[in-house]
Amino acid sequence: MANTNGASVLKPLLNAWSWLFLAIILIFFEIYAQTEVGATFLFRVYSIQAILTAASQILLLALGLTLVVVAGHIDLSIAFSSGFAAVVMALVIRLGGMDSGFLIFLAGLAAGIGAGAIVGLVNGWLIAHINVPSFIGTLGTYGIARGAALIVAGGAVVSIQNDSARVFGNGTVAGVPLPAIIAGVLALFCHYVLTHTKFGVHTYALGASRASVERAGVDVKRHLMILFVLSAVTAAAGGLVYTGRFSAGAANAGEPILLYAVAAVFIGGASLTGGQGTIIGTVIGSLIIAVIQFGLVFSGLPPYWQFIAVGLVIIVAVVVDQSRDRFSGSQT
Amino acid sequence: MSALLEVDGLKKRFGGNEAVSGVSFDVHPGECVVVAGDNGAGKSTVIKMISGVYTPTAGEVRFKGEKLTGKSPEAVRAAGLETIYQDLALADNLDPGLNLYLGREKMRRVMGIPVLDRKTMRNDAAAVMKSLGIALPDPSAAVREMSGGQRQAIAIARAIHWKAQLVIMDEPTAALGVPEQREVMALIERLKTQDVGIILISHNLPDIFAAADRIVVLARGRVAGTRMPSETSDEEIVRLMMGASD
Amino acid sequence: MRYNLQRAAVAAVLALGMCAPAMAQDKSSDAQSAKVPKNVQITLIPGLTTDPFYITMNRGAQLAAKALGITVNFQGAEEFDPVLQTPVLDAVIARHPDAILIAPTDTTQLVDPLKRASDAGIPVVTLDTYIGDGKYQDGSGDGDFPLSYIASDNELGGRVAARAMAKRIGDKGKVYVAHLRPGVSTMDQREKGFKEELKQNHPNIEVLPTQYNDNDASRAASQFQAVLARNPDIKGVFGANLFSAIGAANGVAAANKSDDVTVIGFDAPPSIVNDIKSGKIDATIAQHPAEIGYYGVMTAYAILAGQSVPTKIGTGFTVLDSDNVTDDAVQKFIYSE
Repeated sequence: MANTNGASVLKPLLNAWSWLFLAIILIFFEIYAQTEVGATFLFRVYSIQAILTAASQILLLALGLTLVVVAGHIDLSIAFSSGFAAVVMALVIRLGGMDSGFLIFLAGLAAGIGAGAIVGLVNGWLIAHINVPSFIGTLGTYGIARGAALIVAGGAVVSIQNDSARVFGNGTVAGVPLPAIIAGVLALFCHYVLTHTKFGVHTYALGASRASVERAGVDVKRHLMILFVLSAVTAAAGGLVYTGRFSAGAANAGEPILLYAVAAVFIGGASLTGGQGTIIGTVIGSLIIAVIQFGLVFSGLPPYWQFIAVGLVIIVAVVVDQSRDRFSGSQT
Repeated sequence: MSALLEVDGLKKRFGGNEAVSGVSFDVHPGECVVVAGDNGAGKSTVIKMISGVYTPTAGEVRFKGEKLTGKSPEAVRAAGLETIYQDLALADNLDPGLNLYLGREKMRRVMGIPVLDRKTMRNDAAAVMKSLGIALPDPSAAVREMSGGQRQAIAIARAIHWKAQLVIMDEPTAALGVPEQREVMALIERLKTQDVGIILISHNLPDIFAAADRIVVLARGRVAGTRMPSETSDEEIVRLMMGASD
Repeated sequence: MRYNLQRAAVAAVLALGMCAPAMAQDKSSDAQSAKVPKNVQITLIPGLTTDPFYITMNRGAQLAAKALGITVNFQGAEEFDPVLQTPVLDAVIARHPDAILIAPTDTTQLVDPLKRASDAGIPVVTLDTYIGDGKYQDGSGDGDFPLSYIASDNELGGRVAARAMAKRIGDKGKVYVAHLRPGVSTMDQREKGFKEELKQNHPNIEVLPTQYNDNDASRAASQFQAVLARNPDIKGVFGANLFSAIGAANGVAAANKSDDVTVIGFDAPPSIVNDIKSGKIDATIAQHPAEIGYYGVMTAYAILAGQSVPTKIGTGFTVLDSDNVTDDAVQKFIYSE
């Protein structure tokens, strides 16, 4: 037990590493900006708004995914639950005419969320009732949702003109971008569900031991259905924000973000084996990725470095995850 | 005193193979009955018939005089008969309080919003554990960070907190070190003083003699013999386990 | 429509040199040429069937077909993918059309499938994209057998974008290219043309590093914001495809820089009209896919008539901006849906 002392110092550090990491990269970019550029990096409303908006788009895909990962599963289909919802919303708004109003916009939101929920129901059914491993099952619905999105969109981008939608994606309240507020509210909700409700406890327990949850009389199939619907619906919200921001519903709205959403969840402390992870961690993870992307462009490094940097952060996150397991294991 | 559990002529046939034939015994409140036997003697088949996982081919199980046979595992547990398997079915990442209350969590309200009452559940867990003679150094720590004996205690505490009157323990000391094995034995003694009936599955001779009020030895699906620990010896039990019968 | 028809016919005469007048005479006098193709069936296989670019290409092809009195079939896959395009091509070969016009979805993977067509005696002309090195009938490479390649010159498109940019930002200041991902050949060529034109003819414009967004408009937006944070005096962005432009434009709007920063896009799907009208995008470089389709059919017909054809035909560009986007004269450059 020679490393017990080391572990007792290291463990809290490892648990808080994502906060530390975020602080370190912010300080790093701030120092860089002050010395090399002679300007501030962070202490500008504009930079903060830009980072928050970029982080929201990642976070919306990562929120429901966090719960799914805590339960010991994965949801790859979020990439296209998001795109499918984006396209459906745009089509509904377009049906309402080029200068449609607020009610049509609301109908578009509802239809988009509904479209996402359908993908989630299919996932839940496959995984809970047919016992398909979630990696394979959601890879299948990834393809199906992609096809569905491309088909309903006719392969093209569905552009819209709706002031409510534009405000939804681009407005600010007291300087805070609306996408960040939407992501924040949903994050609060998911945090509440995960840490303060029975559903949340059962989600953690499911990730650790399915037997414990079954023994407790919880309907595991129903629980899994709800998890995958939640995941699809938060991802759909990401697609809706995307449609609002760019006045265009695109089938691939979520695809390029999938990798970053998965990374945010694991950077935030979730474990590949389930049973671990928090919404706060995922929020930090999303912010870390957004800050790195913003910071690297700001620093003027060749753009290929962005790919490497995010890859490195993912690897560090997984290494930290494993060391954490080792330290807690050393106590038994 | 009438028997808490009566096992009466249980038989189980898997295809052409009779795994268990005519097993009978009973358990009284506050009594620990050890079901001993070598691998393949039919111990776990008997246990699964009692806990409702298997339906017997013939025979029946009565609990406090009521027929238990044919009920689902959930119904058996609800009747007050808890089976603790080797994996303990604990959620390792949660604290003892949440494990104790899993599925029946206590809630409170903060500004009208229902939230988990973690503190009360934690305190209850500590109290139940204390009644079993186990002190929790940190009740807010995840179960994963606790010793094997403490984890076993949490699984037992969960059973008796929900009014189990009979606990079946499947090889509880199998994966434990010597000090923890002692902890589990002490736990069994405590349960007995609370009038809980215990069926202990084991093939470990020291455990058998330390815990048992009565020893039921199974061999090849039959009861090879029933002995009081004070009236038998290691050698005799081993002989019975090997298949010698009365 | 009438206007289009006339213009296109005139253009065809110019492009095809000798052969088009010959055909015109065939129709009236029926004397000069020994070989007049009859009941011609040509198949046009786009990169994908649902993209406005290819739909517009088909529009031009049908126009030529009507002018020539022949039939052009439009057959393709739902996605831009060689694995999906090849079976369509095989089925088309089985029907044995008189000629195949195709936008191959891969420079190497489509070589063998198209060779089967060529071996079966069906002339192949590639549109928009190419196989092999894109230089046909010069005796080098496996993909040498198609008879002609008709497309926009993307490098020239980049140069057109650079000139449009220079004009709007007063020939000085900082700009950068918003790009999909390294290795997409058409976009690499646009980027190259854009940078070279600025370097040669507009030395006071500084080009910042290219930003890659993986076709994610959200990332394109935050990249613009980061570039702006570092370079408050940024003057312009060239979005080398639709999402890069829309994303960058969103970043510009979020920073309240619409009056100071020029956003130039590429391609002209119908949605771009609103973006230009609303001022989000200042200008876009429209390719002429209808022209590509039109010349594709004309070229195939010329081949069937026994004429020689150029191995490469470059089609033009039109700059659309708020001054002209509502003009009737430029509506034909906005892609169909």
